[in-house]
Amino acid sequence: MFLYNLRLALLSLRRDPVLTALMIGAVAIGIGMSTTTLAVYHTMSGNPISWKGDQLYAVQMDNWGPSQPYNEPDEPPPQVTYRDGQALMKAAKAKDQNLSFTTSFVLQSDKPDVKPDLVQARATYTSFFTMFDVPFEYGGGWSKQADQDAQQVVVLSNAYNEKLFGGTNSVGKEVVLNNRRFQVVGVMKPWNPMPKFFDAQDDQFGEPEDLFVPLNLIGPMQLHNNGNNSCWGPPANNSFQGHLDSECVWLQFWAELPTQADRDDYHAFLDAYVQEQKKLGRFPRPVHNELHDVPDWLAYNHVVSKDSEALVGLSFMFLAVCMLNTIGLILAKFLRRSGEIGLRRAVGASKTALFYQYLVETSVIGISGGILGLVLGWAGLIGVRHLIEDSDHLARLDWTMVGISLLIALVSSMLAGLYPAWRVVRIPPAIYLKVQ
Amino acid sequence: MLSMQNISKIYRTDVVQTHALRDFSLEVKEGEFVAVMGPSGSGKTTFLNIAGLLESFDTGIYMLDGEDVSNLNDDGRSHIRNERIGFIFQSFNLIPDLNVFDNVDVPLRYRGLKSAERSKRIQAALETVGLASRMKHIPAQLSGGQQQRVAIARALAGEPRILFADEPTGNLDSLMARQVLDLLEGINSSGTTIVMVTHDPELARRAHRSVHVLDGQVMDLKAVPDSGSKRENGVKA
Amino acid sequence: MEIRPILSAMLRNKTGAILIALQIALTLAIVCNAMFIIHDRTSKMARDTGMDVNDIFVMTMAAYKPDYNADSAVHANLDLLRSIPGVVDATYSQSVPLSGGGWSDGATTTPDEHPKSTVDMGVYHMDEHALNTLGVKLIEGRDFTHEEISYIDGDKYTTPKLAIVTKAFGEKLWPGQDALGKTFYEGTSGLTVIGVVDTMEGTWSHWEGFERTVIFPTVLESEYMRYLVRALPGQRDEVMKVAEQKLGAAHTGNFVRSIHSLEYYRKSETSNDRAMTVMLSLVTALILAITALGIVGLASFSVRQRTRQIGTRRALGARRIDIVRYFITENWLITTMGVVLGSVMTVALNFWLVQLYDLPHIAWYYIPVGILCLWALGLLAVLGPALKAAAIPPAIATRNV
Repeated sequence: MFLYNLRLALLSLRRDPVLTALMIGAVAIGIGMSTTTLAVYHTMSGNPISWKGDQLYAVQMDNWGPSQPYNEPDEPPPQVTYRDGQALMKAAKAKDQNLSFTTSFVLQSDKPDVKPDLVQARATYTSFFTMFDVPFEYGGGWSKQADQDAQQVVVLSNAYNEKLFGGTNSVGKEVVLNNRRFQVVGVMKPWNPMPKFFDAQDDQFGEPEDLFVPLNLIGPMQLHNNGNNSCWGPPANNSFQGHLDSECVWLQFWAELPTQADRDDYHAFLDAYVQEQKKLGRFPRPVHNELHDVPDWLAYNHVVSKDSEALVGLSFMFLAVCMLNTIGLILAKFLRRSGEIGLRRAVGASKTALFYQYLVETSVIGISGGILGLVLGWAGLIGVRHLIEDSDHLARLDWTMVGISLLIALVSSMLAGLYPAWRVVRIPPAIYLKVQ
Repeated sequence: MLSMQNISKIYRTDVVQTHALRDFSLEVKEGEFVAVMGPSGSGKTTFLNIAGLLESFDTGIYMLDGEDVSNLNDDGRSHIRNERIGFIFQSFNLIPDLNVFDNVDVPLRYRGLKSAERSKRIQAALETVGLASRMKHIPAQLSGGQQQRVAIARALAGEPRILFADEPTGNLDSLMARQVLDLLEGINSSGTTIVMVTHDPELARRAHRSVHVLDGQVMDLKAVPDSGSKRENGVKA
Repeated sequence: MEIRPILSAMLRNKTGAILIALQIALTLAIVCNAMFIIHDRTSKMARDTGMDVNDIFVMTMAAYKPDYNADSAVHANLDLLRSIPGVVDATYSQSVPLSGGGWSDGATTTPDEHPKSTVDMGVYHMDEHALNTLGVKLIEGRDFTHEEISYIDGDKYTTPKLAIVTKAFGEKLWPGQDALGKTFYEGTSGLTVIGVVDTMEGTWSHWEGFERTVIFPTVLESEYMRYLVRALPGQRDEVMKVAEQKLGAAHTGNFVRSIHSLEYYRKSETSNDRAMTVMLSLVTALILAITALGIVGLASFSVRQRTRQIGTRRALGARRIDIVRYFITENWLITTMGVVLGSVMTVALNFWLVQLYDLPHIAWYYIPVGILCLWALGLLAVLGPALKAAAIPPAIATRNV
């Protein structure tokens, strides 16, 4: 019966090629548009570390000035000061914790004719690699000892290892950064969490840095922060150390807190820490510490752009228009065949059988429209990549999205077909035979 | 009232030419009730289309109601159809989406009559056919005979000078057919000229005279005794 | 003309009419709001920055030699740049105008270590060549002199004593007063306004305070330093090549990290706006096309379905123009129902967007203009099928099925 219905459907669709093209085209354009916008939204709103994102917490402490909050209404800063970050690292009250900031190094080749290169780098603790499940191609993170001693060790991104060492195992080799020799201890596999949750303040859809070095090199090498830096009040004295001791916030602090009890304990610890600091004349505002897990943190930082949200909304309205269009055309087409319907009913086709027949026809429209729509969506994403700079990672179609858009195509066109099929089948057959 | 002289109509397709009418001549006097008969394909319908100004013709002269209508343009023909001609079709041709009142209203709308005048005429026409109580019904809710009576009311409301009926009872059973015929006779007796196309000799017998068409030509003119006295239902037009 | 019978015929075939009306309504809502956002973005992109954007380029130099000396490097680099033929002027700049990254601070009219409220400003650190390099118009007061520029270690920053501000900044801080000669404060450090410039955008074009810009006479010496260079009109690209080659070859212990036109930064900063504009234009064009095709499709259906009825009308005396008018009137009625509903939807959708974006509400005239457009669209779409209907011969009426 299915094959018979399929043949009938194809026959009927071939009878009106222009109309069929219009119906499939409308579905395809609607699906294509919503797939494009939804794919971008999907990437933006993704949880890049879904398996443990609810155990990783961004830490906020309100060290801001007494008269104005960091952000209205009464929001604590999204980053921490150097002294608080280091204090929390030292306290080590969480299962694991990490402090990091983004910086850059001038990398010089041993060959004199090769131009030096300014490379983006992240100064961090080795816990970064274990907390965020960074995959390694060669070697691994440095030791805790290397953290403590501020050893000149470096982990390379996969791409940068490709560039420097042609992708070979470079563990043990040396690179010169800011005129100092660093030893390579690890090379990552390609790793590009999307969005870049661990530093949601800058370039949320950019790639991670190419070099990772121990954060404690900051003092000896006077590393500068390349990311967002916000201050209240002037530094105590105008020196590098003065900046480190200031109330400027520019580092990201994360704590791994697997259970609710861990979180409660950590919150209590933070509150106690701030009370302690208040005695030293810091933290003039009321105690206000916050913990956000990864999904919360991305939402808090408005990682999903408003444009993306608006476009998803508009493109679904657009899809609705395309579907209304198709419903209208299908209905008109079905009603025009009322004579045939009357005849089939007269020769004994049950309502269900006819309903099924028409549903097969609309599904053919829906599925072809959906597949064509996916192709259009894919083309749309290529367009988006050309339109928005550095959006190659943003505008992509993963299997989830393919599934989602096919589902949208199928469900919406079934819905579109359901009504006309129901309308046509519902009317008693005698009417068809009587009125022209 | 109607005078056709040597009318010819040729249908051309790429491969064949069909002489639907050749040297067709016919006179119908004011107040006559004429039946035009002939087998299918004889040219009856072409005659009706041309006489009713639904189609143009190739050669010949056609005078309708004292006016040469041979060379009128489309708008001119529409105007005459609207003001002077009434039609009754075999399949009634009511507009299924409109109720009885609005169906009768259709030709009046194109005449640009005032609303009060239109509704007076519609009322009167529907009373004539005995369907004044069905004004708000749509055609699907009426029987075939009732539908045809609505169609007659539609033709009457325009107060035409001449009425063309195309197999008016072709889709009706005999009882309904008789009612419709009675109506037509009543209309005719009040002065409206009627030309009726039919292949049914029974029907033709009720006309003043019959004209036979074969191969696009009038075969024979035969006077039929006046049958105006056969009024059974006392219908007033 | 005959609106009532058309309406009652339509009510008997509600579904088709409702579907088209809903389509029209959604189309109106989408098109009006899309146009509104497009207008907002294009006017933002076309905004006068007050600077000679097309002739300026930006060089970032990074130190790599152990013997690098920032103070001698900055002087050598600037001397070299200013000596290149085709260069109008060059200045040090801590941040790149219009690039989306920079320095901001809060200003007050009285010294206050913890001010309750401040006027936020975008801060450029530049030297005495700034105004000439940017091509900004000085409307009051004077430019910085060479002696007034402080060359200091980037880690040992202190607030300077003088500033040049934009008119917009002055108006916000001292409404209705002349800013020239006044003193404003960053915390407790006072700065005297020695010059007022006309328009000059800061680095964040999406920030509401994009016009509140001040220039501090400071060169922050560090391992990474930026220079803005203005070339003679039309010579920017050649000058960039020369500059890259000359500064790269100079033995100042730093290398050319990057060199881009100011246009490049502006483009990449506005790429989202451009993308949004393109996407919304595409949505608008496609939705209008689909709605128009939908009207054509349904009208054609209805013509085909009503062939006999149209023939009958013709037989009963309707002229061709009457038939055309019938379909146009019918379509106009549907469109009008759609735009009435659509006006409500437009406002509703706008409320959502306003809430999302913090935009002003849609201007009232978008709706009537949108309605006119949709009326025109409906008319054009139905014209083809209507003409086809008018071509149906009246003789159809005598044809029997």
